[in-house]
Amino acid sequence: MEIVVCVKPVPEAETRLRPAAGGATLDPEAVKFVLAGYDESAVEQALLLREAVPDTKVHVVAYGPAPRTEEVLRAALALGCDRATWVEAPAQTTGDPLEAARALAAAIAGAPHDLVLCGKQAGDDEAGLVPSALGELLGVPDFELVVDLRWRAADGRFTFERTGDAGAEQWECPTPVVIGLQQAWNDPRTAKLPNILKSRKAPIAKVTAALAADAPKSRPEKFELPPPRTGAKMIEYKTPEEAAAKLVKLLREEAKVFP
Amino acid sequence: MTDTVLVVAESRAGHLADATREAIGVARALAAGGAVEAVALGREGTALVNELAQLGVARTFLAADPAWDEVGASAAAVAVAAAADRSGASLVVVGGTSGGRDLVGRLAVRWNAAAATGVTAAERADGGLRVRRPIFGGRATETRRLEGGRGVLSLRPHAFPVPPDAPVPAHAEPLAVEVPPAWRAAKRTGVRAAGPSSGPGLTDAAIVVSGGRGVRAPENFALIEALAAALGAAVGASRAVTDAGWRPTSFQVGQTGRAVSPQLYIAVGISGAIQHLVGMVSSRVIVAINSDASAPIFKVADYGIVGDLFQIVPALTAEVRKARGLA
Repeated sequence: MEIVVCVKPVPEAETRLRPAAGGATLDPEAVKFVLAGYDESAVEQALLLREAVPDTKVHVVAYGPAPRTEEVLRAALALGCDRATWVEAPAQTTGDPLEAARALAAAIAGAPHDLVLCGKQAGDDEAGLVPSALGELLGVPDFELVVDLRWRAADGRFTFERTGDAGAEQWECPTPVVIGLQQAWNDPRTAKLPNILKSRKAPIAKVTAALAADAPKSRPEKFELPPPRTGAKMIEYKTPEEAAAKLVKLLREEAKVFP
Repeated sequence: MTDTVLVVAESRAGHLADATREAIGVARALAAGGAVEAVALGREGTALVNELAQLGVARTFLAADPAWDEVGASAAAVAVAAAADRSGASLVVVGGTSGGRDLVGRLAVRWNAAAATGVTAAERADGGLRVRRPIFGGRATETRRLEGGRGVLSLRPHAFPVPPDAPVPAHAEPLAVEVPPAWRAAKRTGVRAAGPSSGPGLTDAAIVVSGGRGVRAPENFALIEALAAALGAAVGASRAVTDAGWRPTSFQVGQTGRAVSPQLYIAVGISGAIQHLVGMVSSRVIVAINSDASAPIFKVADYGIVGDLFQIVPALTAEVRKARGLA
């Protein structure tokens, strides 16, 4: 089986965010970019499938600028992915997830792909547009919010569960398919030191994104941090009943969120 | 500028979903006097036509083939694109449901539009569309401009009010569009309905009550559940709770769990690690109940009670029941 995993460099969770000069985007200079969250779960899922299904290869693909995109691809190689493709973006991209989907699809279309795995959304912009856009661009079905993805060798179909609006849905489907994974249902492994060292010298195929100038797009205009919260209004009380009564009154009359 | 805006109509228990009502409100504002139309898929679509008209939807396209009920959420993009072409709309608005969000990327590619998801504000801006959306789990907000003649938006749940009625005569039009063969090969084999306290409820709920390490033992979670039941809220948990196996992972709110943005979030016995805050900080109003006055959760909360949750929570449950006439 040929598995493609799409990953994206995102700021480390504890990083302090600040706007770049001009105020339109996040300042990337102040940020450490990592392979994280949803993408880590997607890589883990690919490696679990490779362990379970004979003759499986895992190809990790990322779209983005230097140097952070190369770094997350090396992190994925250190975890055990077999090969990597870097679709290089210009330093100033629109940050439009549909631009990323088009760039990724062009790279994936020319490579074998029985399964394309993504996180359900990127940990930074949280758009969740890439999996279903990739499905359309590659001409295959896509499913999001997926957990417990397994391969059923007997009839060559995947089985999985996804979080639908009415509850947990069980599905089965043939290849090829795009899957957007729910995070945190597996426990991503950490890379071993010898593999980290090896990944530093591993070859990475590099292609330049061919982006159609006339594709509809969105552009960033402003990146804002919320005003710092001033801290909670603390409720003074003598008995738990008094605390409860005061809180309900505040929720009802001041915050106006009491049902 | 007036324009036609198309809304994707979704049903819950046979009625128009609140998320769709919110989408109609946005569509009415952005149509600026132009028509608001809708597309509904599958068996339940017909039942929605009158409720849609009550909210001002002038025409509803019905892709009534029951096969639409059996396919993945993203497949709906095929029917929505067909309806958008028939309608002549320049903008499609989808409510903040998981199914709605799944179709946006596919629809944008298929219909050649720009797109944004999880939108909390939208306005027309010099021939384009300007949207705001929270990013980084609510730690920042971005404003983006959608260019080109067409746009697709999905909304953040509860970010917009349900609009007042604006009745027009109901008008439905059949939309003959078939499920593409590639989708028919996939099969849904079962659905486990969500209880009031399970996963999807958590993301949709207007109120969430979450318990953390301070709850101390799995059986004590009954306190959290009782308060949630009194409020009609969903139950969530911090990672400490799901890691300890007190509640399944599907309850987890946070960076490695679900991001929620309800009207009201009540954090009980949760200290407020970054990993949890990322998943709930964009809630409209946050209440924290914790025995430790220096817990970081009080820095992001709007209202705080320092105290023993084993005394405060039962008192609060009783007060809520009394205030809602349930006692």
